[in-house]
Amino acid sequence: MKIRVALLVFSLLAAIPMPANAAEVIEKSIKTAPGVLIDTSLFLPEVMPAPAILLAHGFGSSKEAVKESAQYYRDNGYVVLTWTARGFGKSSGQISMNAAQGEIADIKELISYLVTWKEVKKESSANPIVGFVGASYGGAAALLSAAADKRIDAAIADITWNNLNQALFPQSSKDLSEPGPFKKVWTGTFFSLATLQNAALGECGALAAQWCAAYKSAVINRRPSAQEITLLNSVSPSAVLSEISAPTLVSQGQSDSLFPLNESLKTFTALKKNNSAVSLIWHGGGHDGGTNEDEYLRVQYLNWFDKYLNGKDISIPTFQFTKTNGSISLQDSTVIPKNFFSTTAPDQATINSIDLLPKPALMAHPIGGIPSAISSLPGIGSAGSVAATVVSGISGFSPAFLAGQSGFLESAKLQKAVSIVGPSRIKVRITSSSGEATLFFSLLSKSASGAITQPNGVVAPIKISGIPAGGREITVELPSVILDAAVGDSLAVGISTTDQGYELPKTPSLYSITALSPLEYSVMDVVSVTGSGGIWLWPSLALLTLIVAFAFTYLRRPRHSESQRDEDFLVQVENLSKVYKDGYKAVENLSFTVSRGQVVGLLGPNGAGKTTTLRMMMGLIFPTEGAIYMDGKAVYPGSPALANLGSFVEGPGFLPHLTGRENLDLYWRSIGRTGEKYLDEVLTITKLGTALDKKVRSYSQGMRQRLAIAQAMMGMPDLLVLDEPTNGLDPQQIAEMRVVLKEYAKTGRTVIVSSHLLAEVQQTCSHVVLMHRGHLIAFGPMKKILTKNRQARSLEEIFLELIGDDLVIGKAIT
Amino acid sequence: MSYVVGKTLPYHVELYRQLKRKRTAFAYGFVLSLPILVALAVKFGPSGDDDEPSEFGSGATDIIGLATLGAANFTTTMLFFSTPFLLVTVVALFNGDTVASEASWSTLRYLLASPVPRTRLLIQKMKVSLTLSLIAVLLVPLSSWIVGAIAFGVAPLQTPLGVTFDNSLTFTRLAIMTVYLALSLLFVAGLAFYLSVRTDAPLGAVGGAVGISILLTILDAISALGSLRQWLPVHYADTWLDALSTTIDWSQMAKGASYCAISGILFYALAINKFAKKDITS
Repeated sequence: MKIRVALLVFSLLAAIPMPANAAEVIEKSIKTAPGVLIDTSLFLPEVMPAPAILLAHGFGSSKEAVKESAQYYRDNGYVVLTWTARGFGKSSGQISMNAAQGEIADIKELISYLVTWKEVKKESSANPIVGFVGASYGGAAALLSAAADKRIDAAIADITWNNLNQALFPQSSKDLSEPGPFKKVWTGTFFSLATLQNAALGECGALAAQWCAAYKSAVINRRPSAQEITLLNSVSPSAVLSEISAPTLVSQGQSDSLFPLNESLKTFTALKKNNSAVSLIWHGGGHDGGTNEDEYLRVQYLNWFDKYLNGKDISIPTFQFTKTNGSISLQDSTVIPKNFFSTTAPDQATINSIDLLPKPALMAHPIGGIPSAISSLPGIGSAGSVAATVVSGISGFSPAFLAGQSGFLESAKLQKAVSIVGPSRIKVRITSSSGEATLFFSLLSKSASGAITQPNGVVAPIKISGIPAGGREITVELPSVILDAAVGDSLAVGISTTDQGYELPKTPSLYSITALSPLEYSVMDVVSVTGSGGIWLWPSLALLTLIVAFAFTYLRRPRHSESQRDEDFLVQVENLSKVYKDGYKAVENLSFTVSRGQVVGLLGPNGAGKTTTLRMMMGLIFPTEGAIYMDGKAVYPGSPALANLGSFVEGPGFLPHLTGRENLDLYWRSIGRTGEKYLDEVLTITKLGTALDKKVRSYSQGMRQRLAIAQAMMGMPDLLVLDEPTNGLDPQQIAEMRVVLKEYAKTGRTVIVSSHLLAEVQQTCSHVVLMHRGHLIAFGPMKKILTKNRQARSLEEIFLELIGDDLVIGKAIT
Repeated sequence: MSYVVGKTLPYHVELYRQLKRKRTAFAYGFVLSLPILVALAVKFGPSGDDDEPSEFGSGATDIIGLATLGAANFTTTMLFFSTPFLLVTVVALFNGDTVASEASWSTLRYLLASPVPRTRLLIQKMKVSLTLSLIAVLLVPLSSWIVGAIAFGVAPLQTPLGVTFDNSLTFTRLAIMTVYLALSLLFVAGLAFYLSVRTDAPLGAVGGAVGISILLTILDAISALGSLRQWLPVHYADTWLDALSTTIDWSQMAKGASYCAISGILFYALAINKFAKKDITS
C-alpha cells in the first residue's frame, strides 16, 4: 500500500511537463528601410512547418523582454519571430510611434522575411500563416499591422491605446469637443523612454523629429495643436479598425491609468462591426502594475492562436475578466484574483440606474493646482496599484480625495449587493466661479464605516471652458470598472478638482456639481471560469454518490443462508470449518449437537479451536464451511437466533469509565430486548455486591469476570456460552464459579463452557465435546465417555489416550 | 423475551455512552479554549513587532490583521485558525475512535453477539460521531463570537476585500462559512471512520486520519503539482473564505463541499461494506 502511494506520487511528479530542450534560435539583422536595421530572433519549434507568431515588445524595451513568451509559444509548436522595434536596443532608425511608413512598414518586411522560411506554414507561396501579439506599444503595432497587412491571420493587442489623443488628453464627455487635460506625468514617463536612451543623441534621443517637436509643444502649450492632433490620430488604431479582418483578441488591464479599460472597449466595439471574430479580456494588470496574470493570459493568447492559426476547435468566450479581489488566498489569507467569463461584452451590459442624493457637491480648485490629489502613481508598478485599490482605510482619509478639493454624489445605502462590470455615466450640472473647470470623476463604493474603494485609482477627467453663470450640463462617461458593493455600502461618484498626473489650471475656482440623472452603471451575467460546469454539477454528483453508496452497501451485503433445521436440538453444529486468512486451520469439519438443559463442556488444550468455534456460534467470525443452527435457525452476524444467547468469550468487555451498574444498564438498553432483565437474580448468582457501583476501571480480574458473566446472564437467555470462565481466578473463586453455573443450569437452561482445564470441567458438565487441533475427538455424555475406557479415571487421561502421543511430540493429526 | 432490531443500540444510548467519555469533554475543551486563549493573548500579551505584515489585530487588510475589530471578525479568524488542524483532529477523534475503542475495550463483540446487526451498529455509531463532530464545528463560531463580543465588542464584519457587511449579512455569512466547514470535514470524518473499522487501535485510526490529512495538505502546498491538487479533498479546506466576497461565487464552495462529501460518503460505504464481511477477532 505504502509503495503504491509512493509510486503514485512519483508518477504524478513525473507527469509535470518539463521545458523542452532549447531548440534553435536564429538571430539576424534585417534591413527594412534605408538606414534601418531590425534586430530579430527567430525561434523554431520541434515540429515544422508550423504557423508563425510575431511577438512585439513594449515601449522602451527590446526583443529580450519577450524572450520568455517567445519560448512559451515555441514550446507550444509555433515559429516565433521577435524583434527590437526601430530606435530601441540594437535596432537602428528613429522612433516614430508605429507610423505607417515607419514601424508598420518594418513589420510588413518582417512578414516577408518569414515567407523565406520553409519552416513557416503558408496559405500560398507569399502568404504565411501568421499571428501577431504585442502589449502596449506592441499592442498598437498589432492592431495597426493587422489593418495594414492582410497576411496577418490573427491578432492580439494587450494594454494599448484606441486613440492616442483620447489617451493623452482624455475628455470624458461626448458633449465636449475640445481636448481634455494633458496627462503630463504619464506622457513624460512615456517619452523619456525614447528621448533619454542616450544623452549623446541630443534632447530628442532616437525619437523622430516631428514627434519630439509635438511633445515639446504639448508640454509647453498644455494642449495639442491641430497638427499634433492629426499626428496622434495617424498612429491611432481607432482610424483603421474597420480595415481589420483578422480575428482579434483585445486585452486590457484594470490597473492602468495610461490606457484605461474604456480604450479597449472602444476598440472592441469598432472591431465587432467587421464581421470577424473578436474577444475582450479585462485582466488584473496594466501600466500601473496591478496583479500579474501573465501565466493566465499566455494560455488565453495561445488558445486564440490555436483556434485561428491552427484551426483547433476551442470555445473562447466573448468576454473574460478578472476580479482582482475575487477571493482570499488559502495560503496566507491575502487577496487573490478570480477569473470570470461571459458570452457578451460590457458594450451589451444591462444598464441599471440608481438615484443619487440631491445634495450638490461643493469644492475648490487651489491656486496653482497645489496640493494635488494622487489617484494613481504612474509607472511605479505594483506598489502603486495596491495603494490605489483601496484608497482609504477606516478613517476615510484618501490621497485621491483631499479635503475641500473633492466631493461625492452619493446614493443611499444599498439594499442589495451590486456588482458592476463596465462603464457608467451620469449627467451633472457644473457651475464654476472662473467659468472654467478641470475635474476628475470616478466611480467608487463607500462602506458604512466610510472606507472608500476607488477601483484601481482610474479617473475620468473633463476640461470645460466658457461655463455660463447658470452652469453647464454635461454627461460624464465614468471609467469602466469592476466593482463589488455590498448591502449597506453606497455607490458614489467621486469628484476631485486636482490630480497630480495631469496638467491643472493655475487659477483658483469654486465649483458646484449637481447630479441631474440617476447614476447609470453596467451589470452583466457572468460565470466563474473555475465553475464552468455550473454550481449544481458537483452537488448532484454528491447526491448521486450517496445513492450509489446506499445501493453498493445494500447489494454487497453478505448473504446469509436462512436454511432451517428441526428444533430438536438447541444447538446444531454441522461440518464446521474455519481457515484463517494466513492459512491456519483453526477448526475442521466439526459437528456436534447440544440439547436443552445440558451443561456442555467444550474441552481441549490451547489452540484446539474452542474459542474460534464459540466466536462462530456468536456470529463474530464467518465459517469457511458448514453452519451453526440455534433452535433450528441459522446463525450469522445479526441473526435473530442470537437473541437467545448470552455470551462471555475471551475476557470481559466494559466501558472502563463507567460503573458496573451503568455498564449493565447500558448493555441492556443496547441489545433491543423488551422482556424482563432479571437483574436481581443475576446479581444474586454472581454475587457482585456493592462493587457494582464502582467504576469498572477499579475492578479486580475476578470482579470483572463475574460482571461479564452477569452481563451474559442478563435476561436469562436460553443458552449461555462461557469461554474459559475460570481463567485468572483463584481456587476459591473457581469453586464459586462452579456453583454459579450449576445454579444457572438448574433453571432448565443450557450452558456451554469451554476450558483447557479438563479436570476442572469434569465436575461441572453433563456433556463433553473434546477437541484437539480443530478436530472433534469425542462427543457425548460425560458419564459415557468416562465409562468408555475403564482404565482411565479422569477426562485428562482419556484425552491423552485418545490423541496418542501427538500432544507430546507435536505431530499433526492427519 | 422478545428481540426488536430497531431497539438495538438506540441513538440516545450511544450518544450517552460517548458523552460520558472524558475524551469527548477534552476535545470540546480544546475547541473552547482556542478563542479564549487567543483573546487573552491579544488583550494582555506583549505587543509584537510592528513590521510584521500579519500582526494580530494590526488592522492590516487580511484575516488575521482584522481579527480584533469585533466579534464577527474574531470569529472569522478563529475559523481560519481552527480549520487546518484543530477541527481536523477533533473530527478525526470522534469518528476514528468510535469503533476502534469498542474493539479495544472488547465491548464490540458483546454488542455484535447480543446481537446488534453490524450495519446498524455502524450507522448508529456514524450518526453519533457526526453529531459530536457537528457540535464541535458549531462550538468554534459560537464560542468565538461570545469571546470576541466580550473582548472586542460587537462590530459588523469587515472583510480583507475591503467590504463591511451589516449585521444580518454578517450572520448569514458566518452561517455559510460554518456550514461549508462542516461539510468539508466529511472527508476526514469518513476516512477516520473507515480506519476505525479497519483497526482495533483507536490511536491508529485517529492518528492515521490526521496524518493522511496533513500529508495531503503538504502535497496541496506543492505548487509543482499544479492542477492535480484540485483532486485532493484538503484542497478545499479553506474555500469558505469565498463567503467573504461581496457577491458570493458559489462554484468553488459547491465543488469543495461536494467533493469532500463524496469522498466522505465513499469511505463510509467502504467501512460498512468492510465491516459486514469482517471476522471480529478483537
